[in-house]
Amino acid sequence: MSVGGATAFARALERARSTSSRYGTTVLRTYAIVAALVIVVAWVSIQEPSFLSRQNIFNISSEWSAAGIMAVGVTFVILVGGLDLSFAATFSLCAILAAYVGRSHAPILAFAASVGLGLGIGLFNGILVTVAQINSFIATLGMSFALTSVAQILTSNVPYVVEREDFLAFGTGTWHTIPYTGITLVCFFLVGGLILSRTVYGQLIYAVGGNPEASRLGGVRVRTVVASAFVISGLCAGVAGCISASQLGSAQGNIDPDVLFNVITMVILGGTSLAGGFGGMWRTAVGLAIIASIANAFNLLNVDPHYQDIAKGAILIGALALDSMARRLAKES
Amino acid sequence: MRNDDASAGTRDGETGHELAALRVSRLSKAFPGIQALREVTFEVRVGEVHGLVGENGAGKSTLAKVISGAYAPDTGTIERSGRKLDLGDPRGHARAGIAMMYQEPTLVPARSALENVLLGRARSRFGFVRRAAARRRFAELADRMGVEIPPGVPAGALPIAKQRLLDVMRALESEGRILIMDEPTASLGPVEREHLYDVIGKLKASGVSVVYISHDLEEVMSLCDRVSVMRDGRLIATKPAGEWTVEKLVDAMLGHVSVVPTASARRATGREVLRVELSLRGRVRDVSFALHEGEILGLAGLVGSGRTSLLRALAGAESRVEGTFVFDGRERRWPRSITAAVSLGIVLAPENRKTEGLVLSRSAAENVGLARLGAVSTLGVLQRKRLLDHAAEIMRPLAFDVTRLRTKAGTFSGGNQQKLVVGRCLNLAPRVLLLDEPTAGIDVGAKAELLGIVRRLAGEGVATIFASSELEEVVAISDRVLVLADGRQIATLEASECSVEQILRRIFAVTAAA
Repeated sequence: MSVGGATAFARALERARSTSSRYGTTVLRTYAIVAALVIVVAWVSIQEPSFLSRQNIFNISSEWSAAGIMAVGVTFVILVGGLDLSFAATFSLCAILAAYVGRSHAPILAFAASVGLGLGIGLFNGILVTVAQINSFIATLGMSFALTSVAQILTSNVPYVVEREDFLAFGTGTWHTIPYTGITLVCFFLVGGLILSRTVYGQLIYAVGGNPEASRLGGVRVRTVVASAFVISGLCAGVAGCISASQLGSAQGNIDPDVLFNVITMVILGGTSLAGGFGGMWRTAVGLAIIASIANAFNLLNVDPHYQDIAKGAILIGALALDSMARRLAKES
Repeated sequence: MRNDDASAGTRDGETGHELAALRVSRLSKAFPGIQALREVTFEVRVGEVHGLVGENGAGKSTLAKVISGAYAPDTGTIERSGRKLDLGDPRGHARAGIAMMYQEPTLVPARSALENVLLGRARSRFGFVRRAAARRRFAELADRMGVEIPPGVPAGALPIAKQRLLDVMRALESEGRILIMDEPTASLGPVEREHLYDVIGKLKASGVSVVYISHDLEEVMSLCDRVSVMRDGRLIATKPAGEWTVEKLVDAMLGHVSVVPTASARRATGREVLRVELSLRGRVRDVSFALHEGEILGLAGLVGSGRTSLLRALAGAESRVEGTFVFDGRERRWPRSITAAVSLGIVLAPENRKTEGLVLSRSAAENVGLARLGAVSTLGVLQRKRLLDHAAEIMRPLAFDVTRLRTKAGTFSGGNQQKLVVGRCLNLAPRVLLLDEPTAGIDVGAKAELLGIVRRLAGEGVATIFASSELEEVVAISDRVLVLADGRQIATLEASECSVEQILRRIFAVTAAA
């Protein structure tokens, strides 16, 4: 980190301290997680200088593109006060659909079908939660079982392989050496962040997640807002499915068994509250960066991947403990 | 009987037939076990401030919520300027120009004051929030209310009084032509109250109709053009404010003559229980006093004067308190946990009964027994019968209907909830009882009862600190009054020789100098 960056950080911390001494909770909470990321990045880049190389960063962005995009969608759902456990299964099913259609049709059609399926599943989730009034944890857990099963039946454990070059272009192509998938990932975070922080719709997401009854009495269409968050999550799972199918040139029932917990960990690690109403897209971005950095470091350093989850678990618990401590301090000062 | 009551409600409305901004006809609404509204008929004229009073549980808040669209009634209609409304839809009611300020703050705690005020009505362009416009609007509303609230602060971080002001601002923001205010002044200090009265006056002048619900009868009579009284779900009578007196209102509300608290002469009190000197960084400075057995020490001060912090410090809820703590004549370490304070017999009944005082989703009996469930269980197994008997034993002297002990705490009226909070404290056999705003938002009948309970406990030797925004009440019940302003102790007065005016003058002398 440059000297200018360090002083800016120090100044921000100072500002955080003076603000929190007056009003409290949010500002200090902001910096705990950023500090965690800085420590992880510093440690890894000391251990392995190639970590911060252009190429490695591009590789990471491509590798984590699908999971990161799903994290964008899940952030919406968690902020609105729900939980989506079905996105991983949706992701697999969408990838399978993309590969299936992509074997015989133009890639654009395959991707459109995949995104369409994601949207449909998201809408169905939204209806289960808002119209049928089923707790979102249960509704999406049930959906997850059902969708995973459908995916397994469809592929019968034999992956759909796509051999058309143009199908692979999106997942493996680059623009000035930057992978398309990395660009897509960044775009999703930017647009998602902009929606949350700058639009009326974003404010409604926070308001409904923070206090649904107050929102209803304030004239907000609470059900529509909640359902829309699930639709966004479905959309993101669909896009992620396209990316995965196009990257691998194939799709099968269970593409990435870790993706469910990885994605939820990113969102929670960033500091977005599971209770809803507090958090933000940049937090998920920081969470993603931490998880991706750790995984990448273990690869670069050739450590047994089984140790990875210990590190992930320790960081998750450590970060949340720090966050809770920061909140207490902020309250007392 | 029912029909007679309904027609009584409209009796006075006939003359202003064309002028009705809002007409409510034969509204009924039942909740499980309670008929909350019985054929209520009343109307609000254009540019009128219409007071609505009644005991807790009389149906005022239910009526207000039906008018705002938060509840759908079982039967009945509401007309807005002659047009019937679709009932039970807050959006539709808001579009018809009805704005509501609910009794409890309806805020999103984690979001900024600004966003809360503009909730559901954010200024936007192509879906993007117009921040500058929103800030201007917020500043304008804050100015109209004569308050200073930083727009970016999370609403939940503001003191309750400021949160209430956000609710008022939100109601103003809607530019509704009919404004329903449910207990807007319940937790406001005198200064904020004056501002609110001012704003209501201006709204009225611009033709806005206000339905004003309050337990402060003096306030209602001076502020309102007409006053309606509700009792037991019925609208008993509507008359011009000039034709009411406090006594007549109370008679109509209770259906019998009430007990108005009168100042007590200083009674002989027992030996000293507690003597403290304390400071709490940033909030309380150099407060010192002694408290005796059977004594009621009033704590007077404006909102934000440090009353709650002081009580929390005594109850062991503030870890950063500094000072000396002499209990039963022995100097001790300052209790820095609730458990430590409770083991000395110091018990706090917190300010906000719904969020801090009770577990609303559990039964009344469990709430009373909560802090010492061990006393009613065998080998860790809770004995329901013993819990109920134990709770009944505590609650019966508080004139609480013990047949309802199995009911969820959340379903009780404010007065009964407050009794449960007191009962919960009594379960811990307090020697020092700290009451923070125990009468906020409860009706006259319940208030008189509660003050009676506090007196009786004092008579039994409990030392009590009684903090309230209502100075009349503090003066009436206390033996001595400790006046706080801006976190400092500015006076300790004998209640028998001090008046509300004296206290206020001292407070304002300090705040004006600051």
